[in-house]
Formats: sequence, C-alpha cells, structure tokens
Amino acid sequence: MRNKKNKMSEEIKTSIKKPKVAIVSLTSCEGCQFALLDLGERFLDLMNKVELIDFRLLEDEEDSGVDLDLVLVEGNPVTKENEKTLLAARKRSKLLVALGNCAAMGGIPEIKNYQQGASTIKHIYKYIQGIDNPEIKEIDNFVKVDFVFPGCPITAEEFLQYIPLLLAGIELPDGRQVPKIPDQPVCVECKKKGNRCLLLDKKPCFGPMIQGGCDAVCPSSRMMCQGCRGLRPTGNVKAMRAALKNFMTDEEFENTTEIYGLRDDIEEREKNL
Amino acid sequence: MLLKINHIAKIEGHTGFMASVLKGEVKDARFEVQEGIRLIEGILIGRHYKDMPVVAQRICGICPVVHNLTSIKAIENALDVKVSHETVLLRKVLGHAQFIHSHALHLFFLSLADFLDIENDLKLVEQYPQEAKMALRIRDYGMALVKIIGGRVVHPLTNEVGGFKKVPTLLEIQELIKQGEKVMEDVLNLAEFFRGIKLPDFKRKTEYVCLKTKGEYAIYEGDLVSNKGLHIQVSKFEENFHELNRPREIIKRVETDGKTSYMVGAIARVNNQSEKLSHKAEGYLKGLGIKFPDFNPFHNILYQMVEVIHCAEDSVKILRNLAHMNLQNAITKPYEIKEGSAAAAVEAPRGTLYYFVDIDTKGYIKNVNIITPTAQFLAHLEDDIKAFIPGILDNSEKDREKKMRAFIRAYDPCISCAVH
Repeated sequence: MRNKKNKMSEEIKTSIKKPKVAIVSLTSCEGCQFALLDLGERFLDLMNKVELIDFRLLEDEEDSGVDLDLVLVEGNPVTKENEKTLLAARKRSKLLVALGNCAAMGGIPEIKNYQQGASTIKHIYKYIQGIDNPEIKEIDNFVKVDFVFPGCPITAEEFLQYIPLLLAGIELPDGRQVPKIPDQPVCVECKKKGNRCLLLDKKPCFGPMIQGGCDAVCPSSRMMCQGCRGLRPTGNVKAMRAALKNFMTDEEFENTTEIYGLRDDIEEREKNL
Repeated sequence: MLLKINHIAKIEGHTGFMASVLKGEVKDARFEVQEGIRLIEGILIGRHYKDMPVVAQRICGICPVVHNLTSIKAIENALDVKVSHETVLLRKVLGHAQFIHSHALHLFFLSLADFLDIENDLKLVEQYPQEAKMALRIRDYGMALVKIIGGRVVHPLTNEVGGFKKVPTLLEIQELIKQGEKVMEDVLNLAEFFRGIKLPDFKRKTEYVCLKTKGEYAIYEGDLVSNKGLHIQVSKFEENFHELNRPREIIKRVETDGKTSYMVGAIARVNNQSEKLSHKAEGYLKGLGIKFPDFNPFHNILYQMVEVIHCAEDSVKILRNLAHMNLQNAITKPYEIKEGSAAAAVEAPRGTLYYFVDIDTKGYIKNVNIITPTAQFLAHLEDDIKAFIPGILDNSEKDREKKMRAFIRAYDPCISCAVH
C-alpha cells in the first residue's frame, strides 16, 4: 500500500515537473507538424518528456484549457476562428513559438497579397460573400512571438536541438530567455556538404542572404535556395541583387521572392539601407 | 435531434460535422469545414509554370508527392514534353512511397485507436509497442524512398518538368532495396495484426472510381474507370465529373454526370483492380475472405493495408530494375516552351488527384484547376453517414459521437487538400 502511494506521488511529481506544451495549427498544409511526426520515435520520446496538452493530429481528448509553458503555432490566421485561436494561445502560454514559414513570413498564401485585390478569389469561387479572405499577415502582427522555427517546412533536427533550450529557458528568473539561431548563410552548410555552387555555375540561388540551419537541403538537390527561412540579420540584399543580375531579371527576382513571403521583408530591408 | 461534432481531431485539416434527425430519419448531414482558404489555383495564375509544382505541392503536408507528380505531369502534357523510362520508374517509386507512409500513418496512428477504444495515440503506442514500432519502421521505409529520390520528405525537391534535377546513386538504390526487403516482414506482421481488428458492419451500394491501366495496378497513370462501366480518358474528367460551388461554402463537392456521389481511394482501387495486385498483397486480400464487390467503407482501412503490402513489394521490384539502368537518363534535358493546355491524374493515397493547366507562349499560367480526392468523396461520405446514423440512434450520445468520428476517419479525409 505504502509503495503504491509512493509510486503515485512520484508520478504526480513528474507530471507536475513536465512542461506543458501544445501544438496549434491555423490554416496551413500541416507539413511542419508532419516534419515532426516523421521523426518517428525521436519525436515520441521528446513528447514523453513534456505534457502534451493539445495536439489534434494525435489525440481526440478535449483540451482542458490549462496554462501552457510553450505553444507552437503553425500556419496563417485566415479565418476569424484562426485569429481567435491564435490570440487565445498567446494568452495562456509563457512562450509562443512560430512553427514554419507560413506563421513566420506569410508563406505561399501571402502570394495573393501581391496580386490584384479580389481577382485571386474570383478565379476560384462564384460566390465570395461570407468567405473570410483577409490580406495575409504573419502571426507577429497579432501576437508577440518569442522564437521562430523557420523554413518550409521546418528543419526537424533544428526542432530537436532548440526545444530543450526553449523549455529550459522557462525556468529562468525572467522566464523569457530564448536561444538564438546563429546568423550564417545557407552557403556554410552547402559548402560543407561539398555541393557545387549554383551561383558559380551561373544559376540563381538566394543562399548568401538567407538564414542557414536547413542543412542546405535545396541546393543539395540542385534546387536554388528560394529563401523560405528568411533574410539573415546581416544578409546583404544589395550584393545579392548585383550577383544575380546576370542570370535573373528584376521581375524574376521579385516573383521568386514572393513564393515564401520574402518580398515584403526585402523591401523593408532595402528601405532601411 | 441535432448531432454535432465541433471539431474532428486526427484527420488532416479542420472540420466539424452536423446532422439533423427527425423521427428517426436523417434530414441533413454535412461537414462544416473550418479551414481557411489559401486560393492555391488563384495564386498560380500569372506565375511561371516552373513555380507550379513548388506551390501546388504545398497544398498538403502529408501527400505533397502526389501534388508534385500530378502538376508536373499536367505541365508536361501541356508542353508536350516526353520523359525517359528511368524518369517514369523513379516517379512510380515516389508514388508508391507516398502510399506507404501516408497509409501507415492513417492506419495505425489516425484510425486504429477508434477500434480499440483509446483516445490518445501516446497511450496507443504504450499499449501496442511492438505494432507501433512496426508501423514506424514501415513509414521509415516510405520516407527513405522519398528522401533519397525526392531530396526531402515533406515538399520534395528533385522532380521537375522533363525529369530530375538530381538522381540517386547506385549505392543509394541498393541500400533502399535492402531496407525494402527487410521491412516486408514488418509489413506482413502488421497486416496480420489488422486482420484481427474488428471493424463495424455497414454497407451501402455505390460507384467506385479510379485509374486503371494495362499490366499493372494503376497508381501513376491510366484511364478513369468505375464499377458501373465508366471508362474515359483523364482529359474527359471535367465532362464527367462536376464541381459544385454553393454560396458560403469554401469546399467544392464533386458529383458525377448523373448528379450522384461516388467513392475514390483504396477501397475503390481494390474493388476495381484487385487482380493487378502484387503476389503478397493478393495473397493477403484472399485470406481476408471478403466477398467482392465490397461496399463496407470501414474496410477502406484494410485496403490501405493491402496497398501498403503491394507498394512495398512492387517498389523493391522497380528499384531492382533501376539498379541495372543508367539513372543519368532521368536528368532533365532541354525542351521547348510553347503554348498548350492539358490534364493529368495520379492515384493519391486518398483517391484520384486531377490537375488541369493552361500555359501561354512564354510559359506563364493562364488557368489551372485542381480537384482533390477528398473534394470528390465528401458528398459520398455525407450520403454514407446519413445511412449510417439510423443504426446508432439508440446509443448514448457519447458513443454515437465516437462511432461517427470513427466512420469519418476511416475515410481518411484530408481537409487541407479539399479546400486548398
């Protein structure tokens, strides 16, 4: 009997100690969640170290609504319901983390911001009344974002590396200390992998101005870096434009930066030069 | 009486469900989709066709491979670009790989718990550790195929109009063959485990639509056929199936020319072309002792298992062929850009995925239409569940909801795909 009691209090203790985490998905392809699930046992092991309060991809149980230590948000706030979910997530969590390119930079859906007003939706729907079709905005326009996992999709290895650091940060006195992804271009990992440089082959690539940490997965497949992880803090847009001048028109450059919501960030960076 | 589920977890995307019942008769049953619109077709118009596979595959994080394959095939048909035999084989392996890891995820992690009365997958993994490991290893094989051939699992990179940017080495192909041979034991063991799962009994006669072709179980290419005698080319898809755009609805349901709903996916494919399954898949199917045609939608799960066996066995066979070929032939060769429009279809895990694209003389997209499997079977699912509800009306409210969730999940709907 006593043993049983001890065991129970032991269990309660570990469950109290476990940080409370939720994964919330707004409008998206859910590819970032799948990048996590695809880690298989390594993901399940990590999830056993936390108390997973809400993850609709794996559980039917109703969310109890308790306060959270960390919430991961994937996707865009497109519907009014999405917006409410996002605001509620911020309210109940110590840390709010953007999971992937859509949440962080607007992603693919942001392309419509660069098109003409209502023409995009009219290609698809006959009746557009009553359908939420807002301009796409990154989640930091709605809530404070403490940390960003960049990329389309996120890099799962980076997730495994930074989640323990983020959770450890919760214990700090100010409760707000978060790690930083080092400021280095995609080129560092690309060179390490022994890839032939696309730029030296006179093919376009955004690698030099883009935040590394993706293991240079695109150029390793001979696919140009299109910048899904965003500008790195010291990324030089002017030098990048100059380097690309000979194998990409300005229009092609603008079009390509639209794919992952990079265009508005570049415009802002150039305005501040 | 109103039967309402606010949010159905453990499916791809967001939706609720509502049905109204009057005196034991179901008056209305429909999904209330809570997904936001991303307007993927709209944002593609005016962009260069080279952006299309990159953008379109981001419709779905679970089945990006099939969006990648179908968009590329549609563009190749429009530009009249021919690809090498090696390219086709590599793409077929990608398609098989997509079936393996998507089905294994749905079978085990999304649907199984419903039939074992467990509400949380971490608990499922705790109670069935061996089976969970098998499912994970099977997924690992599917993902290894996409990673090595496609460059990345979620949103692959190498496949493009005309061929591949990069191809695997012989050593990599040999490693995949070894992994595929080894995983077969897990596949067959998991299949045995699923044979023992008791699935509810429910039947409703219907039309099954899928691709079909000579000499193989059609996944990558074929004509559209049905068990009701339909046989058309993919280019005639939009003449025979119609998208319905109703006010205030962001999902476009699809119906046949005769204004009826129809079913696609594993259950449709196995019903229409079981004689083309691989040796081991056919053996397992026969052992199930089911009489065909089979109109029990819960069996979709078993047929996904059948397809995992087929794709695992057949992928190794294709890889063995590839090991004797010069894969450099799959590298993209220069081709001409010209005006054109065309359709293409591929069997996605959840059913036939259809693309149409119209390209101008400079390679910019004038028009595009994408019709996904879930959009096609949503009306069918609603019709089915209408017939299913009367049988569970006497159950408790909680149990009714559970049964409806299980029913919906057996279909493996992908709401992100359906809305896009």
